[in-house]
Amino acid sequence: MGNLTSYPKGALEWAAIFLAVAILIMALFGGWFTPYDPLQIDFRGKLQPPSGEHWLGTDGSGRDVLSRLMAGAQLTILSTLVVIAVVLVIGCAIGITSAFVGGWLDNLLMRLADIWLGFPPLILALGFAAALGSSLEAAIWALIFSWWPNYARLSRMITNDILSEPFVAGATALGVPTWRKVVFYVIPNAFDVLIIQVTLDISAVMLAISGLSFIGVGAQIPAPEWGAMIAGGRAHAGSAWWVVMVPGLAIFVTALAFNIIGDMLRRELDPTTRRRA
Amino acid sequence: MAYILQRVAFSALSLFVLVFITFLLSHVVPGDPAIAAAGPNAGAEKIAALRTEMGLDEPFVTQFLIYCGNILQGDLGTSWFTHQPILDDLLRELPPSLELVVIAMVINLAISLPVGLLTARYNGTTFDDIVRLFAMAGAGLPIFWTAILLQQSFAADWQLFPVAGRIGFEYRAFEGITGFYLLDSILRGRPDVFFDVLSHLILPAFALSLLFTAVGVRITRTSMIGEFRKDYVTLARAKGAGEGRIMFRHVFPNGATPSLTVFGMQFGWMLGATVLVEEIFGRPGIGRYAVKAVTQSDIHGVVAVVFVVGLVFLLANLAVDMTLYALSPRKRAEG
Amino acid sequence: MKTVTAARILGVSVSMLALVGAMPVQAAPSGVLVIAENETPENLDPANAVNSTVNQLLVGVYNTLVQFPAGKTAVEPQLATDWDISEDGKTYTFTLRDDVTFHDGSPLTAADVVFTLDRLQAASAAVMNDMGPYAGADAVDDTTVKLTLDAPFGPFISALSRIYIVSKAMVEPHMGDDNARGWLAVNDAGSGPYQVNSYAPTEAVSLTAYDNYWGGWDGDHVAEVLFRYVSEPSTQMALLRSGEVHIAPDITVEDKQSLMDTEGFAVDIGAAATPLFFQFNTASEGPTGDPAFRKMLAQTFDRQLHLDIVLAGFGTLPDGPLPPDWMGHVSGTELPFDLDAARAMVEENGWDGTELTVRYLPGIQEETSAVEQLQSNLSQLGITLNAEGMTWPAQAATVTDVATTSDINMIYNFPTFPDPHAILNTTFNSANSGANGGYNWAQYSNPEVDALLNEAASESDPAKRAELYGQVQELIGQDHVVITVSLPGSVVAMSDKVKGYIYNAAHHQTFNYWNISVN
Repeated sequence: MGNLTSYPKGALEWAAIFLAVAILIMALFGGWFTPYDPLQIDFRGKLQPPSGEHWLGTDGSGRDVLSRLMAGAQLTILSTLVVIAVVLVIGCAIGITSAFVGGWLDNLLMRLADIWLGFPPLILALGFAAALGSSLEAAIWALIFSWWPNYARLSRMITNDILSEPFVAGATALGVPTWRKVVFYVIPNAFDVLIIQVTLDISAVMLAISGLSFIGVGAQIPAPEWGAMIAGGRAHAGSAWWVVMVPGLAIFVTALAFNIIGDMLRRELDPTTRRRA
Repeated sequence: MAYILQRVAFSALSLFVLVFITFLLSHVVPGDPAIAAAGPNAGAEKIAALRTEMGLDEPFVTQFLIYCGNILQGDLGTSWFTHQPILDDLLRELPPSLELVVIAMVINLAISLPVGLLTARYNGTTFDDIVRLFAMAGAGLPIFWTAILLQQSFAADWQLFPVAGRIGFEYRAFEGITGFYLLDSILRGRPDVFFDVLSHLILPAFALSLLFTAVGVRITRTSMIGEFRKDYVTLARAKGAGEGRIMFRHVFPNGATPSLTVFGMQFGWMLGATVLVEEIFGRPGIGRYAVKAVTQSDIHGVVAVVFVVGLVFLLANLAVDMTLYALSPRKRAEG
Repeated sequence: MKTVTAARILGVSVSMLALVGAMPVQAAPSGVLVIAENETPENLDPANAVNSTVNQLLVGVYNTLVQFPAGKTAVEPQLATDWDISEDGKTYTFTLRDDVTFHDGSPLTAADVVFTLDRLQAASAAVMNDMGPYAGADAVDDTTVKLTLDAPFGPFISALSRIYIVSKAMVEPHMGDDNARGWLAVNDAGSGPYQVNSYAPTEAVSLTAYDNYWGGWDGDHVAEVLFRYVSEPSTQMALLRSGEVHIAPDITVEDKQSLMDTEGFAVDIGAAATPLFFQFNTASEGPTGDPAFRKMLAQTFDRQLHLDIVLAGFGTLPDGPLPPDWMGHVSGTELPFDLDAARAMVEENGWDGTELTVRYLPGIQEETSAVEQLQSNLSQLGITLNAEGMTWPAQAATVTDVATTSDINMIYNFPTFPDPHAILNTTFNSANSGANGGYNWAQYSNPEVDALLNEAASESDPAKRAELYGQVQELIGQDHVVITVSLPGSVVAMSDKVKGYIYNAAHHQTFNYWNISVN
């Protein structure tokens, strides 16, 4: 069991890192290098199977699937990162406040977080998107709305752990102001745990965004968001496998890469596993 | 006892907040149920009359209080579109969905618990690595995508399972007692129906459970690893107890308890996610009912679905909490 | 469903008696017809028969005074044998058949017709929206019923084809305080060839042949009709291929094309009369408020390409808002596709960079494709078209106010009966704005058009009406209110075991399943 800390970065991990970097680069710049215009429809060339001309075939409106996949990486991945960044900030603000203030506010906020987890997220998002109008932005809001409790609970737990450490108790006795404790003790110590959670959540949020696009309350046509691509091709699932398979695989591979990295980070960074080992 | 009461009271309060937020949300939604209910070319007068009749003219707070009063009397209202008591609608739609979730949960547990235990025992081996890879892969599968792929391959192409629906054509006249066909077929002594219903459940349940199973394996593995490290295991090993005995008599029951909390929550989340699977596999159920209610702005229908799904979520968690409470000597001492 | 079971037993015994009584020899209905449907029905109440999913179920369970035979667009007698219209056009007197029985065995009389209409009126039923100035009904005797109007109404007879007659004896005990809406939502009280056997609205609805049907069972018919509610086109296709359903209306155009050449399947192409519109917000403060801008927009959609590729040729090339074979149709009222002309206008007026929004229903494949087509063409002119997929009530709610109406709305018109009134009045009369539940989502208000439409509605002479509707089409063409995108045919894929399928053009998206047999 001693190999937990000395875990070697294997070929799998390197492959995942390589893939994740490649996907991030594609998300940033992929839109500029697409072989075809990802939005240009050509009904006469619809549903062509993969070929030399269209490596990943064309969709129901004759658009090049590879080009849409490349351009769509930006929408899918950047909106995932936006959701995570916002829930990270909001969730941690709530969680850390809750831990510091304690008492009834702590109770209230944490009970609220528990209730929130009881919402059926898809049905909630349906209502939410209907209120804001269907758009990728609405889907992002709906996810932020339903995701924050995870980070609130996690950051509260970490903060409480840190606050119970003897050196923090000492600092309190010396009259160190709260903000200093947050900045110098909580944030650095929480960083490791949060970065693991963030990496693992990338796949979960990405699945959620594509799920919302799939039921029609996320990205709107002609945006090549990956979930929306599956939704747009679902009617052809029986006759033109590539229109459903390709964007699904893209989601799957991306999610897998980030999961592997998250898992690796957990082994490398997680203080709980490190300490126990 | 105080602990139990506190939990129940908290659950009731949660449910109230849940209903309030949903009610609020559905009123922000721009759809006008009166226009939808009146039909095309109704004219302004008729729409206005319907709006009054449906109670949409009342201020929001009044509407909410009336609604809460009705709920307390067990009345979820009458749907503006099905014209049936919503409770009746839900009692019809809930069993097929719960049946799906229960089977998905069974698949989840049947994989998560043993695989979690074994990977914890053989932590660090190639077997562990492979399972971990599978778990990570499973956590990256969009439910709707898996559902489409499973349906197109196993059902449409290879014809190993039915494509869609809840019960086979030849059994369409089968009348249930409880609405849970698996249970009903046993009660009626119809093994043929039982297996037919089960075959309709396998693919959708599998599609629904994959994502949750991936998490389940991971959680179980972590808590089992923690358990294997406990002193009593070292002690038992030192005393020469067999590995099998250690695993199944000590580690498994103790290590499974913390993951129960997660499985409890998963039950509720699965029920909320049935919509994706029900649409694709053409199954009746609460998810499809919810989508229909949302698309019609059937506010009472939407709120009722959230209420019921929330209720199931809380009950599942409550049940898990109670079980843990009953099992844990520490909690008993505190209570 | 207790009542239904009882009726079934009764039906069986009656049919046995009929056999003994040396009636004309007729084959008993046999076999099961399974039909896939993508939308689930809201309820079974005839009050709701404007909804095609509900109407498809009811059209064979209930009867009406007059009806359009399958594939025809002129009414024929059904429960009424003949009728008489008063000089002033305000009184219609119908003579009823005397051999019609409801599913409980009781005879149909004038009192049932009066009860039906009174109930629909009391229940603010959606089907009554199309009845114009209808005032009331009186039973003269058992087989004579008189309907009165406040003013003459040309399409009145056509509108009656959606008024399904319910049995007073069966419904009255359940009137309660909801006008029996709760009861009729899950029970039937009709006299049609089939009766409701079981009803599970998110799963399936089963109808069984009513043995004592007044129309008789000559020829081949099925004993049971099963509607299965399957929303995904790919699932419907898989079910059709595996033989689990016989008729699958909602699969993709590509799948329909491939089935045309596949052994064991047939594809029926019916001439539908459901125009699909892009409606421009004519009252907008924004660009679409400008008639010149609308004139430019009107030339940016390629209807021929849409018909050829998106609809795979299944349909009619639209030529103005009315189907070309309808009474009063005028050719050439809408501008043809001409992107160069549009580009010239954009350059001349500096409209480059304009942003517009279109709202549509993304669940409908051809709407999505049409929006993509328009987006693509407008982007070539430097105009951005943002698409917003919506649910029906949400979209309908946005058009209740000019300010919240988007620049363009995509909307299907499903005429309740094949009369120009059902398309033109609902879409272009200012009285039928979105706020009134109408389909005038263009917020179009032209007093001249309103006057012509009202005059045509109260006119009974078909030639005069045709002329008035012609003028209406000219005027709305000049104002560039809509682009008529398509007149899609009804393309329905089925197993080649199905015999006797005919699309029912007058009741859009339905067919008369009681005329179908399965080999």
